[in-house]
Amino acid sequence: MKTSTEILLVDDNPADLDLTTEMLSRGEFSGRVRTVNDGAEAIAFLHGQGKYAGAQVPDLIVLDLNLPKKDGRAVLADVKNDPALRKTPVVIFSTSQAARDILGSYELGANSYVSKPGDLQQFALAVKSIQDFWFCCARLPKEEKQL
Amino acid sequence: MSAAATVAHDHDIRPPAGHGKLRVLLVEDNPADIELVSRELRRGGFDLTMDVVETEEEFTARVRSNSYQVVLADYNLPQWRGLEALNVLRNEKLDIPLILVSGALGDVSAVECIKQGAMDYVLKDRLARLPVAVLSALQEKRLRDERQRAIDDLAKKVEELARSNRELEQFAYVASHDLQEPLRMVAAYTQLLAERYQGKLDEQADKYIHYAVDGAKRMQTLVQDLLAFSRAGRQQGEVKETDCNVMVELAIANLQVAIRESGAQITYDHLPVVLANSSQIPQVFQNLIGNAIKFRGPKTPQIQITAERQENEWVFSVADNGIGIAPEYCQDIFVIFKRLHTRTEYPGNGIGLAICRKIIEQNGGRIWVTSQEGGGSTFKFTLPAAPGFRQG
Amino acid sequence: MQSSEVDILLVEDSQDDMDLALHALRRENLANNIFVVRDGEQALDFLFCREAFAKRSLDHPPKLVLLDLKLPKVDGIEVLRQIKSDPRTKTIPVVIMTSSKEERDLVNGYSLGANSYIQKPVDFDQFRNTVKQVGLYWLVTNQAPVINGVVLQTTR
Repeated sequence: MKTSTEILLVDDNPADLDLTTEMLSRGEFSGRVRTVNDGAEAIAFLHGQGKYAGAQVPDLIVLDLNLPKKDGRAVLADVKNDPALRKTPVVIFSTSQAARDILGSYELGANSYVSKPGDLQQFALAVKSIQDFWFCCARLPKEEKQL
Repeated sequence: MSAAATVAHDHDIRPPAGHGKLRVLLVEDNPADIELVSRELRRGGFDLTMDVVETEEEFTARVRSNSYQVVLADYNLPQWRGLEALNVLRNEKLDIPLILVSGALGDVSAVECIKQGAMDYVLKDRLARLPVAVLSALQEKRLRDERQRAIDDLAKKVEELARSNRELEQFAYVASHDLQEPLRMVAAYTQLLAERYQGKLDEQADKYIHYAVDGAKRMQTLVQDLLAFSRAGRQQGEVKETDCNVMVELAIANLQVAIRESGAQITYDHLPVVLANSSQIPQVFQNLIGNAIKFRGPKTPQIQITAERQENEWVFSVADNGIGIAPEYCQDIFVIFKRLHTRTEYPGNGIGLAICRKIIEQNGGRIWVTSQEGGGSTFKFTLPAAPGFRQG
Repeated sequence: MQSSEVDILLVEDSQDDMDLALHALRRENLANNIFVVRDGEQALDFLFCREAFAKRSLDHPPKLVLLDLKLPKVDGIEVLRQIKSDPRTKTIPVVIMTSSKEERDLVNGYSLGANSYIQKPVDFDQFRNTVKQVGLYWLVTNQAPVINGVVLQTTR
């Protein structure tokens, strides 16, 4: 029995959060979209700390790299080094196309790296691809978990 | 024990022409010789101030405390070899011409003295030559100083220019890089506005939104192109032997879609190995081939890439059968953002050739084009040949 | 001239599944640089550039490894473990494609660092579609890491 599917968006740009959420709803994403604005919030959320006590671990994390407080790399490292969290797929979603950022993300254990396109249509396509692959094609590790 | 030697003016001798003040340091122990030198120099037209020393210590002390224009030294002194004054001058980093004034020595020694750094050699029984020798030495020193000043000035200007260039490049890079993010917001949200409200407000509003979206999109591509231009030539990589066949293959790999859609046929054969930054060269071929495909006429694009050796460089030709370029524009097209057509005729911001030129010039080459309107174009550029390689 | 570029390494011991996968990828023009190995040992040799694959370079890894779990010689989980624990190969995207329904394989796979986990559909058509989606996502949407490479921007 599947619990409600949940995606966590981590991005400091509210415009991008809105854009991604909008594209997900156009793609008829039926799960819940949670958003946080900086790395520290992301880590608190994922560990169920403070105001996020009791929050469930998301099925998929979509993570920008350049964040205030703790940046995306720190969040990624935190997730992938934690035995309880490491199986959660993390998709880096960033405007950076620098080879160093891409390689660095994989080295920290990112599952996937998708470039945020500058064009709206391409952006919509990118979000749709992420949604289609991770929620309709791949199997996610959390699904069979009972509450 | 030294004092400025003053000699009473000899009123019978009028200096032939005034050569102005002259400050001399004389290394000499014989009073008669001192007198002779002094008189000869005044007779030669110099307004003379002369100090006399006999030992190395005195010499060193003098050159440290006063400034002299010329040093005259006797070769044979009881305590010291006059020529060794050259060493003192060198140690004190003083560039003062030294003229040996001495009794007869063999020819061998004269040459030896010049080799060791003496400017000239005047025999004591030929002292009449001394003024001329001094003049010569002073002139040569003056020329030397001028040349050095010119070199220093040039070096300073070059460094300033390099620094200014670096700052400009940095600025262009940072500006275009940082501009992308806000532009992305403007472009995305004007488009979202368009999608949401097109047809729901009045016609004016539709038009305004359309112009805003169009402007935003164009700004985006402009900034991306500026960034690409600013990056061109900044790629890491050292100059090394570069196989141009591989370079062309890399370029072609990136043009697969355009090649497929146009049916373009590209031929290249046995291109040479050059000395260049191999991370930059594929971009040159990619832009040239890409242009040849883009600016095609009714015919299927046919592109030939060849190379010809000319002395120490290879001259590459990328020839196409496209729409050609009127000769009066053949220089302009390498200027950044220069276009010859409207955006509706052919897409693009006019940056490809500017990037090519930047890369080629940075790699020590030149780039130009020969063409006629309607008659295809041949783009040529040069790159240094790699020593030890013949045509591949 | 043969380039050493391999985009996809398909690790599959079932002939039928291999044929289907290749067919599906070819239809999407994704099969241009695909290499197939039939057991876990070969997969490791290929990725670590040793034995029969000693001429390959660790600087040019495939963009994607499609890894079956039930393999002869060395099984898929062990292959995954070795790839993901070696710094030279850990950044290579590995997608498990298996018919196994074991929950343990799913959790283990992700925990060991598999980039994704796909269950092979039983249905012929669905299988093809799944392979197509996998290929499109990992070769087009996803940015593969480039090691010491020159990333050229493709002409718009």
